[in-house]
Amino acid sequence: MTATSKYFSGAQKAHDAHHEEEDPKQYLMYDPKPRGEMNAMVMESMMTTSWKFWLVLGILSFLVATCFFYGWGYMINEGLYVAGVMRPSYWGIFLVNTVFWIGISHAGTFISAILRVFKAEFRRPFTRAAELMTTFGLIQAGASIFMHLGRVWLAYWLFPIPNARQLWPNFHSPLMWDLLAITTYVLGSTMYLFLPLIPDLAMARDRSTGWRKVFYRILALGFRGTEGEWRHLTTAMNFFAFAIIPVMFSVHTIVSWDFAMAMRPGWSSTVFGPYFVLGALHSGMGAVAVVLFIMRTTMKHMDYFIRKEHFNALGKLMLIVTFAYSYFFFNDYIVQWYGGDKWTDTLLHWLEEGPMAWMFYQLVLFNIVIPPLMLWSKKIRETPWLLAAIGLLINVGMYWERYLIIPVMLTINRMPFTWKLYQPGIEIFLTVGTFSMFLLFYMIASRLIPLVPVWEVQEGQMTHTLRKVGKTHVPTVSEFE
Amino acid sequence: MPDATLLAVFEDIDPAADAIEKLHEMGITDENINVISGVPIAHKMLGRPHPWTNVSRLSMGGAIAGFVFGIFLNFGTPYLYNVQVGGQYFTPIPPGLIITFEMTMLFAMLATFLGVFLDSYFPNYRPLEYVGEVSDGKIAVFFKCAQGEVKKITDALKKLGAETVKPAEAQQL
Repeated sequence: MTATSKYFSGAQKAHDAHHEEEDPKQYLMYDPKPRGEMNAMVMESMMTTSWKFWLVLGILSFLVATCFFYGWGYMINEGLYVAGVMRPSYWGIFLVNTVFWIGISHAGTFISAILRVFKAEFRRPFTRAAELMTTFGLIQAGASIFMHLGRVWLAYWLFPIPNARQLWPNFHSPLMWDLLAITTYVLGSTMYLFLPLIPDLAMARDRSTGWRKVFYRILALGFRGTEGEWRHLTTAMNFFAFAIIPVMFSVHTIVSWDFAMAMRPGWSSTVFGPYFVLGALHSGMGAVAVVLFIMRTTMKHMDYFIRKEHFNALGKLMLIVTFAYSYFFFNDYIVQWYGGDKWTDTLLHWLEEGPMAWMFYQLVLFNIVIPPLMLWSKKIRETPWLLAAIGLLINVGMYWERYLIIPVMLTINRMPFTWKLYQPGIEIFLTVGTFSMFLLFYMIASRLIPLVPVWEVQEGQMTHTLRKVGKTHVPTVSEFE
Repeated sequence: MPDATLLAVFEDIDPAADAIEKLHEMGITDENINVISGVPIAHKMLGRPHPWTNVSRLSMGGAIAGFVFGIFLNFGTPYLYNVQVGGQYFTPIPPGLIITFEMTMLFAMLATFLGVFLDSYFPNYRPLEYVGEVSDGKIAVFFKCAQGEVKKITDALKKLGAETVKPAEAQQL
């Protein structure tokens, strides 16, 4: 009895201590700083570079020059035989990368648009960091498709351009839907990135000199912040927040149809659309966690803007997305498993016991088992490096998932005499090139554009107040619009 | 007849709203007042008329244009450039819905983006009346008044909390 009460009293003390630790000031919205100070912090974070920054930049530039540009040039010069794609796996890592990067790009739209629509306040400081992932991820996705084309100089044949040779794109083809959907998404998300950036570019213009002044002056377009300018801008941003969501869903659904429309074992599935969308969000959220961790640890003053509360909120989103992804994964798996089709059975056995089984089990472990086991804990969610590590594992798992869907499922087809395991060639270098280019773009952007939307943070702080209710203060939020 | 343009800078919304009310009382109409701020402030907070925007109309126009273009791609171009696909109708509706949706959204977004440029007269690199403190969170009220009223208005606004009241100057941003 005494031991029990002692145990409970200890637990009670720990519980009380935990709640006493909760200080409203640990939340960004309740720890406001004057706008001028926040501007100065963001500008300083952009201007400050160390030798480590230049070293990493140099390494990435070298990798981009060699793996991306030289590698691609070599492949164009020599022909696609230097890549590992051949019967039966005509679609190799290039398309794995395409699907992976489009997946990463979904995080920006989700965080920025959906959370804006639902007025989730925690989104404010890191919307731009996520939106940048969308744009840079889509650039890599586009590059990967062009690599896959082989004769990339004929890419214009994809576009409906009247010509004398009667060449016309086939609008019945999912690959054509892909082109239109990805083009719409690239343009839409880039415009959606740029619009809320204009006031911050104007802020940077007012605080810089030399070439930076010229750069920001051109990009800020003469923005002053008049009532009319704000009205046009916020109307457009609200429109984009609603419009980009169905486009985001359509893009990855259409990507999934590249596979699901074919009557192949493992591919032909009616849940592939939502399953792919959830997979994209899963990898995108994980990537945002990694990017926020890197930003917070490497950039000056970012610990003020990106706090534990943001990692906690992101962790909750990741947890929800994990459940939804797991549900669709199991739904897709169980229906195929139950169906009894000979070739699908063969494929599933091959996934579970074949030479690529390690990929399948890592996918299950990293995407379905580890995230819910870890993310239920607030302490883990609030630990930036841990959340980033989980995000990284999710992305490894998601990359394997795409690898299994594309070259591996192409290998196990209805013609066993063609079965031959895909062995990537130059694709590995080009993959290193795309990853390096993504990181390089991000590093350059972190020193050129304000990664924190300062005006949105200030707006959030202005709309929040602490209201006294009884013995405590509770946060209240009002809408300015 | 207004012949002077003044600029008053305020620390917060409340004194700026009071100042605008005072300007109204002194006979300065909304057409001769403009407010510049570092965050979007609702017109009601400052007692200002609702600013007009064409952006949403342009979005709708873009969406309609995109819809028509999508229909043309699906159901018009096959007759110009004949692409026969085995087992499918010549102009099937289900794939047509996908193309039409994407074109509608693309054109709507492009028109919205363009709308911001048109309505805001972007890009505009000419010298404009502006103060850098605005992006530090302050609120600037520009207004036109008669030259003879300048002293009276300046005193009234300073009494209401204006940090500075001075003639507005166009500057290269």
